[in-house]
Amino acid sequence: MVDELLFFMEVLVGGLLAGTMYSLVALGFVLIFKASATFNFSQGAMVFFSVLAFCGFMQDFNIPFVLAFILAALLMVVVGLCTERLVLRPLMNASEDTVLMATIGLGYVLEGLAQAAWGVEVRRLDLGIGDFPVPWIADNLKLFISALDITAGLVAALMIIGLFLLFKYTKIGLGLRAVADDAGAASSIGIPLKHIMLLVWSAAGVVALVAGCMWGARAGVQFALVDLALKALPVLIIGGFSSIPGAIIGGLIIGATEKVLEVYIGPYFGGAIEGWAPYVLAIFFLLYRPEGLFGEKIIRRV
Amino acid sequence: MSNSSVNILDIKNIEVRYDNVILALHDVSLKVPKGKVVALLGANGAGKSTTLKAVSTMLASERGKVTKGSINYDGTAIEKQNPSQMVGLGMVQVLEGRRCFGHLTVEENIISGAYSRKLSKGDINQELEKIYAYFIRLKERRKSQAAFTSGGEQQMIAVARAMMAKPKMLLLDEPTMGLAPQLVAEIFNIVKELNTKEGVSILLAEQNTNVALKNSDYGYIIETGRVMLDGSAQSLLNDDKVKELYLGISKKGRKNFRDVLKEESLKKKNN
Repeated sequence: MVDELLFFMEVLVGGLLAGTMYSLVALGFVLIFKASATFNFSQGAMVFFSVLAFCGFMQDFNIPFVLAFILAALLMVVVGLCTERLVLRPLMNASEDTVLMATIGLGYVLEGLAQAAWGVEVRRLDLGIGDFPVPWIADNLKLFISALDITAGLVAALMIIGLFLLFKYTKIGLGLRAVADDAGAASSIGIPLKHIMLLVWSAAGVVALVAGCMWGARAGVQFALVDLALKALPVLIIGGFSSIPGAIIGGLIIGATEKVLEVYIGPYFGGAIEGWAPYVLAIFFLLYRPEGLFGEKIIRRV
Repeated sequence: MSNSSVNILDIKNIEVRYDNVILALHDVSLKVPKGKVVALLGANGAGKSTTLKAVSTMLASERGKVTKGSINYDGTAIEKQNPSQMVGLGMVQVLEGRRCFGHLTVEENIISGAYSRKLSKGDINQELEKIYAYFIRLKERRKSQAAFTSGGEQQMIAVARAMMAKPKMLLLDEPTMGLAPQLVAEIFNIVKELNTKEGVSILLAEQNTNVALKNSDYGYIIETGRVMLDGSAQSLLNDDKVKELYLGISKKGRKNFRDVLKEESLKKKNN
């Protein structure tokens, strides 16, 4: 009995921590959705682009780890800058659908650029954190939990705290929340939309880099990261497209459910339900709570 | 250029089109003298909002464009400006329908108005207190989420937010829309106060002709994108055509719709 409970705990905790990896990807989507009201289809490509550049700096130019990370982060700010200038500003007054289409195009450009610059082979990314159970926890709590999962959890927690402080207490954060509520009114009182866009796209780029590092360390830095980012879609539906805490909680829910379902119900379906179970969950949310758990409800006075 | 020092805003024969096709303004000219309140009156769709947006350069975000004529604000031709530059020059528009940031608190809404200015935390608090002196009601509600405040309070938030940018000129688009008469009076009192104490020039678009004229120095009446009539507020209030069409007072003694119905039913009886 105790063994069964321990096993369940292990599955659950493993799932929750793996879920934070989804949360990290989802965070990038939320940032851009807040400012542009657009689902950024290029987020997956940004993950791939940023982490491939990071690997490239380290492995092709022998730049030390920390410096390479900073360079990659700066590169993502440049990408944000170019996106604002070349894609978003010309489409400033276009409809949200137009911007959505533009992000798909942007995704292809980033994928192409990344592979042209750094090659197409799968790279190994060693963060110095193993993807194997931490001995101390295994010995004392009898739970087998991967060190990488724990790191991802901590990183996600740090990111959410950082972003929360940025949005709540800085001037540009106030500007971003104002734009997220009503871009027209924000520009009428002199909040420059281009600065906000630049901030958001740069922040999303850095978030993509962090997410890419985690995923890259687990699965190798490869083109498949682009599609993996789409796992963030059910996370966003459950958490709410415009909520940063929602992205985190949504990720946890997806991570936990898919692991628990896989282990306990999977065998009846012949396994591998991890792949589609999150989407089924997302459908239920779309039916009964379309704004997600934490999505901003449209407030209407009556 | 003695002209530009008298008039803070000078609109000359502008034509505005949306999507390069839809003609919204045919020919509008108007002037706002420095430190005065000018009312822009007319029915729905007459072109009041379009005129204000042409001035604040917010037209572009709605795919509108000034295709003829010129607008001069405080010595600057505004053609090449964008909204945040206009705010920098001291011209702020309060959009129709209040447009508060619903998820932000009342105070955050007001502070956001100072975004274009480089102020320290202390300066912001000082400015806030100054603003709260005009909008006492808002101080009590400073921590509430703006979406849950009343319509009148939201209008006050919108004006207070605009005032945080320290404007030389305010464009108010239907500030009294959907408000009870008491609140309408309260809003106008504040507007009047801001005008006299802070020296802000005001261009005011309103459907509420009577109240607007009573609180303005000068008025323009526009219909289907053309200025039909203009004059001092007093002369417009006394004008027969204005009385008949916009104030609901006619020589026949009909004051409201009920009187019209009464007349008609009497006619039927006589037949």
